[in-house]
Amino acid sequence: MVKLDQINISNDGLTKFFSPIEAAILRALWADGEMTTSELTGKTNIPLTSVAGTLDRLVKAGYTTRRTEKVNGRVRFMYEPVFSEEEAATEITTKILDSLVDTFGPLAVENFSKYTDKK
Amino acid sequence: MNLIINDIHCYGQCLRSWAPFVALFVVLSIALIAISLVLSNPRNRLKIFLFAQSSGILAIALTYYIMECSQMLSLYLYSAYLLVSTLIIFGALRYYDRIMIRKLEAKPAGSILNWTQDFVDMLTSAKLYYFESAIPKAFASGKSIFISIGLLEMLDDAELKAVLAHEAWHIRHNSGMPFMKQLALMAFSSEADPELELMADRFAAQIAGSQALLSARNKVDRVFI
Repeated sequence: MVKLDQINISNDGLTKFFSPIEAAILRALWADGEMTTSELTGKTNIPLTSVAGTLDRLVKAGYTTRRTEKVNGRVRFMYEPVFSEEEAATEITTKILDSLVDTFGPLAVENFSKYTDKK
Repeated sequence: MNLIINDIHCYGQCLRSWAPFVALFVVLSIALIAISLVLSNPRNRLKIFLFAQSSGILAIALTYYIMECSQMLSLYLYSAYLLVSTLIIFGALRYYDRIMIRKLEAKPAGSILNWTQDFVDMLTSAKLYYFESAIPKAFASGKSIFISIGLLEMLDDAELKAVLAHEAWHIRHNSGMPFMKQLALMAFSSEADPELELMADRFAAQIAGSQALLSARNKVDRVFI
């Protein structure tokens, strides 16, 4: 799911792995579960014109799903995260550890155990 | 088959000293088409595409004139060019909405909001489709009108009627497609003509009320063309 070539270590928080708008949407969905588009724009405080394209992309990439609902004769999208925050964390950590072992082999593993000792 | 191989042979013989000029035009025309695909400004795109077309035609004309022996191959080339470009123009025009239905996985809008298709039927004969996108967008093509869920989410019924009337006007006036629009389509660029948009808006205001049109325009300016 996460593209390793897009990881940016110097960024803050989730924006290491996602664009700022993607990160804001995912945070909102993880916090509150299901949400409509207008709830999302309200929660993230980002205008619809900026959010709409990102929502399409997140759905296409498989991070969120959406279903079309009809309420009082009006049509709307309902968004839901596909992965929980924990599942995303596991996926990202595994990918990064894999790439470290791939590059440094036993040296990387040695550092992992040192790191766990320190913690 | 043999005839064509002979022709190619003869082609090389006849063209020998002129070949660089012909090649120049061919390369130029291919390069220009490539550039026109990259450009984002539709007006420039169309201009470059026109240059590419003229350069291609020049290459064919030049070969036709300097060929001393058999001119069959030039004739084949020219006919092939005519056939392909005509097929592209008319194929794109006729099947563009079918291509879009498949590409957007569009579904009949009547199934989600039943009154919408009835409303369109009153204005023109066109099928109304919706497609899954959060980006508010509406457009007309061929005998089809497309609206995104993002647009449906945003507009109330009166505003939606204004947008549908605007698109219906486009369908009603699509049959006599102007030459420049055909070329624009051929160059894979589409440009909203401000005059046409204004006329479509006038019609929409008549049908749905200028208040509804204005508030729809204010909510989603420039997303329905």
